[in-house]
Parts: sequence; C-alpha cells; structure tokens
Amino acid sequence: MGETKINIGPVHPSTHGVLRLVVTLDGDTIRKVEPHIGFLHRGVEKLVETRMYMQSPSYMEKIDYVAPLSYDELYVATVEAALGITVKDRAQYVRLIQLELQRIASHLLWLGTAINDIGQLFSVFMWCFKDRDIVLSLLEEATGGRMFYVNQRLGGLNRDMAPGFDKHAYKALDYLEKRIGEYQEYLESNPIFMERMKKIGIMSKEEAISLGVTGPTLRGSGVEFDVRENYPYYVYEKLHFNTQFENGGDCFARYRVRINEMKESIRLIREALHIIPEGDAIGMPIRLIGPQPKEKEVMVRRELPRGEGMMYMVTEGQRPYRLSIRAPSFINTAILQHLPKGHRLQDLFPILASVDTVMADVDR
Amino acid sequence: MIFQNIITGIETTLGFTTVSPIVNYAIAALVFGALIMVLITIFDYIFGWIERKLVARIHLRHGPTRTGKYGLLQNAADFIKLFAKENIIPARANRVLFLASLPIVAAIFAFIVEILPYGAGLYGVDLTLGVLVAFVLISFIPILIFIAGWASGNKFSSISAQRSVLLLISYEIPLFVVIASVGILANSFDFLQIVNAQSSWWFIVLMPLGFVLFFIALIAELERPPFDLREADSELIAGWLTDVGAPLYAISLFIDYTRVFLGSLLVTLLFLGGWDGPVLPPYVWLGIKVLVVAVFVVVLRATTPRMRLDRILRLGWVWLVPLAILNLLWAFVLATGII
Repeated sequence: MGETKINIGPVHPSTHGVLRLVVTLDGDTIRKVEPHIGFLHRGVEKLVETRMYMQSPSYMEKIDYVAPLSYDELYVATVEAALGITVKDRAQYVRLIQLELQRIASHLLWLGTAINDIGQLFSVFMWCFKDRDIVLSLLEEATGGRMFYVNQRLGGLNRDMAPGFDKHAYKALDYLEKRIGEYQEYLESNPIFMERMKKIGIMSKEEAISLGVTGPTLRGSGVEFDVRENYPYYVYEKLHFNTQFENGGDCFARYRVRINEMKESIRLIREALHIIPEGDAIGMPIRLIGPQPKEKEVMVRRELPRGEGMMYMVTEGQRPYRLSIRAPSFINTAILQHLPKGHRLQDLFPILASVDTVMADVDR
Repeated sequence: MIFQNIITGIETTLGFTTVSPIVNYAIAALVFGALIMVLITIFDYIFGWIERKLVARIHLRHGPTRTGKYGLLQNAADFIKLFAKENIIPARANRVLFLASLPIVAAIFAFIVEILPYGAGLYGVDLTLGVLVAFVLISFIPILIFIAGWASGNKFSSISAQRSVLLLISYEIPLFVVIASVGILANSFDFLQIVNAQSSWWFIVLMPLGFVLFFIALIAELERPPFDLREADSELIAGWLTDVGAPLYAISLFIDYTRVFLGSLLVTLLFLGGWDGPVLPPYVWLGIKVLVVAVFVVVLRATTPRMRLDRILRLGWVWLVPLAILNLLWAFVLATGII
C-alpha cells in the first residue's frame, strides 16, 4: 500500500488553534509528522521594543491566553530584575497564590480538552470548564479580572487580595480537590481511557532531555526537574514543594503529572494562605518615566503551566532594547515530529493532547 | 394482518372496491408505509430533543431553551435551516455515488423499520425469516458507508470508509451468532413468534450474556460511541460525512436518529419481550422500552471515550465471538428443556 499524506489542521477539532500537521500515513501507521507553525505570529517581541517597560504586561498576557497571569508575572519579574527592584514580602505570597491558581485553571482546561480529543463527547470538558470557572472567580476576586488580569506592578501588585479571600479560597480548594479526585477516579477506572493513554507516545528520559522539552511533558518522562524547586523564586523555598514526576514517559504519565500538579498546587496555596504575612503588597504605580535600569542584560526563568518560560531582556533606557521569549509550547511542539512515529493515526490525538500546546504561545 | 384492515377500512370509507388485489395491496402498503414513517419521524424528533437535553444535562448545560417551550422546536428549526442551505458537492467527489449513497442508506433504514412489528396486530408483513432479513439489510449499511466515504474523494472520509469495513468484520459475526441463539430459543426467526416466546420469561433473563453481547455488537453496528470510529469527530473531523453539504447532513441526522430507534426496537423485540407488559396497553410498553434503551444509548455516548481500532478488533474476535458461541451453546441447553 502506498503512502498517504493527510493534512490535519490548521482547522481541525483537535489541534486547538492553528497547528497544521502534515501526516504521512502508511495504511494506518504514521511514518512522518511535520508540524507547520506560524499562523498566529504577532511579533510580540518586536512590539515590546517600542513600548515602555510597564506598557507591555497586558500584551504579555495574550501570549498564552490559557495561563495569562503566568506570562504577566514572568515579564514583570524580568523588568524587576532589570531595574533591581525587590518584591515586597506579602506580594511574594500573593503572587505565588495567584500563579498556582492560574496553574490549576490551565491544567483543568487541559484535562477537559485532552479527554475531548480522545473521543469523550465534551462531558469532562464541560465539567472541567465549570470547575475552572471557580478558579477564575477566585482570581477575579483577587485581581479584578477574569480572563486577563494585568495585576502585577513593579515590586508588588496593583491590588492586594480582597478581605475574606482566604475563606473563599479554602472553600473553593476543598471543592476542587474533591472534584479532581473524582475525575482521576472516573478516568483511571475507565479501561478505554487507560488504553488510549497508556504506552502511547513513549518518550524516554534521554530523548526528553535532548529535545529540550520542559514542564509536565518533561516530568512525565521521569526527569525530576521543576524550576520551582531547582531554581526557586519567591517563597517556594519556604513552602514544602515537591516536584511531581512520573516514570512512564507515555501520555498517561503526562496526564498523571498534571493531575498531581493540580493537587500539589492546591496544597501549596493552602500552605501559603496559612503563613502569609500581614503588610503591604501594593507595587509601584505605572509612571511614564520609571526608574533607570540597573542591569544591562537579565534573564529570568519561571515554571509556567506549560513548561519552563524564560525571558531574556537587554535594556536601553526606559524601554527594552531586545526581549527574547523562550515559549515552552514552542519547544514542546517539536516532539510531535518524533513521538507519533510508528503509532496509529488514532494515537496521534492523545499525543497531541498530552503535549498541551497553545498555538498563541508557540507563534507569539 | 394490518394490511387487510387498512384495505377494508379504505373500502368502507370510500365506498368502492378497487379493481384488483394487487392495487389493494399497493394502496395498503403505501398507507402503512406512510403511517410508520410518521411514527419514525415523531420518534426521531422526540429522541433528538431528548438526546440534546440529556447530553446537555450531563454536560451541566441547559441545551436548547429558546426555540419553543423547552426548546422543543429547535430540531424543526435546524432541519429547515439545513434544507435551506446550498448542497455543495466537492470537485473530487464521484457525483452520482456521493449524492445517492446517503439517501440509499436512509431508505434502507426506513425499509427495515417497515418490516418490523409494533404490536400483536400492528405490522406490515409477517415474514417467517424477518429477523434475518432485518439484519442482512443492516449489514449492508457499512458497505454503503464505505461507498459514500470513498465517493466523497476526501482523505478523512476514505479513512473513515476503511474503518467502516473494520467494524463490519469485527461485529457482524457475534451479532449473527447471538441472533442464531435467539432463533433457537424462540424456535423461529419470526419477530412475532420471538415476542410470543418471551411471554413467560424475557430473553434478557434467559440469556443475560447474549443480551450484553448483542447490545455491544449493535452499538458498534449503529456507529454510536464508544464505537463511533467512522464518525470520530475529534480525529476524522466528521468521518464519511466530512464533505457532505447541509441537506445531505440533514439526511444523515435522520439516519442517526432512525438507527437508534431501530437498534432500540430490535433490542426490545429480541430481548425485552417486545410489547409484553402488565396493566398498560402494549404499544405504551413498547414505547417505554424503546425509549429506555435509547436513553441508555445516549448516556453511553456522553460518558465513554472512543475505543482504539486494534482494541475493537481484539474485543470482537477474542471476546465477543467465543462468548457468543458459548451463548449459542447455552441456548441449545435451554432449548432442549433440560433446565
């Protein structure tokens, strides 16, 4: 039988955005996958060069619309590093809480879409979406925004957590913990789900490291690396953070890492809420002319929900001379060339889902 | 037989006798056909609404609410919209096959539901091999779907067409073996006889294994999740329906609902005692049973992920075929009357 080339995407129910995969099939076996990206390129890095430092955070949030707060924080942290500003004590805790809430929201959306990709007709998707809404409500209470927050300011935040936030948060976290446990129980007791995820798209430890993948995708291959633990920032050191990793290397391991990360995030938020100090968390107001940068070049790394995000910034007066973004989705997407080889066409979709790409993040 | 009743009914109301029995027969067949089609359309309509509402509830949504009371008119609005749209035929498609295959599939389904009985006195024809006729016609469907998928000239559709054949070879055999055991137990392949044979014990009680096997194979045959590999929306976009235009898609929706009706009716007739039941009139019982089975099919759709292709083959050959043969032996034992 001859080889067939099929074109999956850029408009396809399972590519979640504008990813185009040219798949070469031999019968039903995948011989080659070529990802084509760039449909959503906006030139964010160039745009930042034309703006003052604190004009860009709202733009940064649009890089990854599933986890906007993480990018917002990453950018502001880069500017803080360049300007030599230290973050207020309470603000560090609040930022951590918000980042972890954002991680839960992002992973919940991932869970829903991933189950949808393996053919479950939107049920888990809708349930996850509803639970994500609870997290978004918490974030709304804390920051004032639901989708995009723009709450980070130099040295602190625009808005401290509202009074009574911790009470709501504890309640919501209890509920979320129960729900996530239920999803895990429901999915892992389902033989069809296990068959679709287990032993599919196996990526060895060496392969994962050499391909440069990060985040849950890396930790699913048994690599115990998490920026939060290896290069801790804010108060992750003070909290008892454990890197979640699985040794399977398959889609199931990547799913498991994300589930466990959500549980770990819930635990972290509880711990942070427990020991959060009183005080001031409000950062500097946005002024047209801010402080002069102290550093010429800075690089900041953060553990984003999708992997390790880095920003490299060269400063020049009141605006960045150059900003380079290492987007985790972009590098993780590269494994789509390797993992599906030899699998059936059907297995491409769990693999695609388990990588968790956001095309806006890939193309920037 | 209901034909005769219809003929006498026409003769008494119109007050004349037609020229020959053949004309009588033709008129009766047309009237009966129209009657059943109305019945099917009503079922399809209600079932379509129930499916939307039920799946929406499982999703924690509301489903259609705006069109009519409780969104009851939503399906009508959708059908009008779909038929008002342009029917686009892809340049690469084989025009004749592409246009003809879906209506033919719909016609086959419509034909099968015409030959099924709906009550002790409500049936069109009483075929001695009615069960076999129905299932042979059903097993034509995957072949027609193969043709439809191939004719559309789309790669996703042709992959879907190949999957259709795969389902055919995995599930046809267990299905027919289970039907054979039903035939042995009832000592007939006539639907009426089978329903009558269940007057004391429903076959689901006598052959629980057979019921499970039959249900699984039928779900696969009817292309419902978790076996919806032909239409796998998150993989093949819409499978063999990827390139069909709106009017043809409306027909495919009709097919989709009709085959759920057909499947539920077959399960009811062969295993759940047909219209047998206390107190309530028989047709009400039939309606209740069909709806319960149909709702179960919908719940299955809303809760299971799609199966893997190789797993389906393995399930078919390693589990269903041996178990179906075991069930056949059990039917032999029951039929001899030892137990």
